[in-house]
Amino acid sequence: MAAPRYRTPPSELVRLGERLLPRLPGDALAEVRQRAWRRFLAAGIPTPRVEDWKYSRIDALMAQPFAAPTATAPAAGTVRRAMAGGPAARRLVFANGRLVAGQSHVGGLPDGMRVMGLAEAIQHRPQEVAAAFEALPAPGPFSDLNTALAADGAWIELNPGVRPEVSLQLVFVAVGEPSAVITHPRVVVRLGAGARLHLLESHVAEGEGHVLTNLVAQLQLAEEAALVHERLQAAEGGHALVGRTVVELSAGARLLANVATLGGAFVRNELEVHLRGEGGEALMNGLYLPRGREQVDTLVRVHHHAGRCHSDQFYKGVVDEQARAAFAGRITVHEGAQDTDAYQQNRNLLLSDEAEVDAKPELEIFADEVRCSHGATVGGLEEAGLFYLRTRGLGRAQAEALLTYAFAGEVVARFRDGKLARQVRQGILARVPGGAALDPEGLVA
Amino acid sequence: MAMLDIEGLHVAVGGKEIIRGLDLAVEAGEVHAIMGPNGSGKSTLAHVLAGREDYEVTAGRVRFLGQDLLELEPEERAALGLFLAMQYPVEIPGVSNTYFLRQAVNALRKARGEPEMKPAEFMKRLREAARQVGIREELLRRDLNAGFSGGEKKRNEILQLAMLEPKLAILDETDSGLDIDALKAVAAAVNALRTPERAFLLITHYQRLLNFIVPDRVHVMVDGRIVRSGGKDLALELEERGYEPFLQEAA
Ligand SMILES: Nc1ncnc2c1ncn2[C@@H]1O[C@H](COP(=O)(O)OP(=O)(O)OP(=O)(O)O)[C@@H](O)[C@H]1O
Ligand SMILES: [Mg+2]
Repeated sequence: MAAPRYRTPPSELVRLGERLLPRLPGDALAEVRQRAWRRFLAAGIPTPRVEDWKYSRIDALMAQPFAAPTATAPAAGTVRRAMAGGPAARRLVFANGRLVAGQSHVGGLPDGMRVMGLAEAIQHRPQEVAAAFEALPAPGPFSDLNTALAADGAWIELNPGVRPEVSLQLVFVAVGEPSAVITHPRVVVRLGAGARLHLLESHVAEGEGHVLTNLVAQLQLAEEAALVHERLQAAEGGHALVGRTVVELSAGARLLANVATLGGAFVRNELEVHLRGEGGEALMNGLYLPRGREQVDTLVRVHHHAGRCHSDQFYKGVVDEQARAAFAGRITVHEGAQDTDAYQQNRNLLLSDEAEVDAKPELEIFADEVRCSHGATVGGLEEAGLFYLRTRGLGRAQAEALLTYAFAGEVVARFRDGKLARQVRQGILARVPGGAALDPEGLVA
Repeated sequence: MAMLDIEGLHVAVGGKEIIRGLDLAVEAGEVHAIMGPNGSGKSTLAHVLAGREDYEVTAGRVRFLGQDLLELEPEERAALGLFLAMQYPVEIPGVSNTYFLRQAVNALRKARGEPEMKPAEFMKRLREAARQVGIREELLRRDLNAGFSGGEKKRNEILQLAMLEPKLAILDETDSGLDIDALKAVAAAVNALRTPERAFLLITHYQRLLNFIVPDRVHVMVDGRIVRSGGKDLALELEERGYEPFLQEAA
């Protein structure tokens, strides 16, 4: 008999879910949650025989004896170090998926902008939350698990034309607990026509532990709305993140989605973009630097449903030691989406013989007036560059560290928030071999 | 003893012998020019002297300031005082020109047991040198050579030369692709750097450069060997007659 494509969910995970499910708030959601839960049980956990999970090794991760999180608040210093978005930025802080009101600050927002924890949204507008949950396209096992068990997260709404001057930051702190924990935060963002938002999402860790964050973000952009979404995953150690972001863009809407993955035992960044109206734009940049035994998956799906849209994916990775990285990027140009511009680039630097990179670019084109290009490379440092730097007196190790840093830095140059970019640059210096010995003055702007 | 002393050098690239028995001696304070047809091995010689690892020295020896040059790593050669202005400078996106130069200056100082240069002092010298070779401030902030025009790259090599103050500078076709003003600026910068302790090896195709930087010796390189050496007038002779007579001699 052929090996199964999905595995039965581990019993610990099922027992935890069955215990939590009836206790979750919001009667209006019960139905949606139950359906998602049943789908999850029926499907199970994907194995590498499922195409989208071909390079992922998640058996050990999912078999952990998960308990419900109990952490209440992270240390003030943890939050302070994670802060980005400028001094006036508004912030929601989560400890193992739960909103920490005392450390959050979303007061004084402009009229027509509402920011609240998801628990509060469930309390005050359960029907809308249920509808949003239901609207998530093509849910897979992890999304279903999230829909079934999401207890908290962020609910963000901007009326048409609202353009706050300040950035909004979501800080997810993975707080080490005695047992492994799994959390299911849900983020819903709705931008009215012409509204604008700069949303930062930081994942950091406090203490040793095994926190699996199973995040789903649904971002909806009405006509001419613009969203900058920047994610920094810096929760190192035994922590893991499975993040699925789904973006819907109406005509003329613009998205800039940046992600930097600096740590974590297993990180999966799924980004699904639907360009549904003419003249939409989606710029996506990503950087991953796994080392040790870390694994980073990047899965990007860009759908051009309407014509005259522009999409550009630019992802780079530096993979060291026994780490693994997978990049699967697909551009689908649907029928009738004429005059489409769609680009994709994936470049990887492999620093060790034991490291692994799997790159899988895909194009599906069902329209005829289309400008598309894609390319993937996996290689080592350029000898010509190394030689050039060494003839100027830089030692081999310094030259290698500098070139590796520069390779990664090209992605950071596309980040919008200065503070977040600085955090990423510091993280790169800490991660690349020999980076700690480089002079940061002039490198970390 | 000569500052640079090359004896019976043979170099193979990709299994093919490119330098085939080359002798050359350069004294401190001298300027030598090497001319020769395309593919004769001029850049190969320059890269071997700078320490390129994929070029295989099959015979011969090179002494530089009394040391066996071929034993040294590229960065050790730089610390000893060797500099190569490349024919095709490499683009390094992601590292600013200024940052790179500061690291290079300090790496050399560290290797020589000197303290790092103070940032203010470095910036002052950098601005001065940039003005001298005609490099705009904007280029100092840009990434190293990335998107620089051909001429800007060449000027940037001379900027590095001025900042790194080597004992022997090899200029591999620095004059190619320069407009006349750039050529004059580069020549002026080089002439300003001429001292009794410093030597230059100019690889060029054009007599014109040698009107501005007058050489002590001119060598003709054909097929991996120096086939003729003479004074500055040899360059004029080459300009007039081309390499044809030498090609026949070599054959
Ligand atoms: N990797 C290689 N494999 C084989 N041959 C090579 C390789 N690299 C260079 N060569 C050859 O070595 C010869 C010398 O090249 P070199 O660049 O030193 O010439 P040059 O004198 O500097 O020429 P130019 O005046 O055009 O700059 C050329 O014939 C070139 O094709
Ligand atoms: Mg050459």
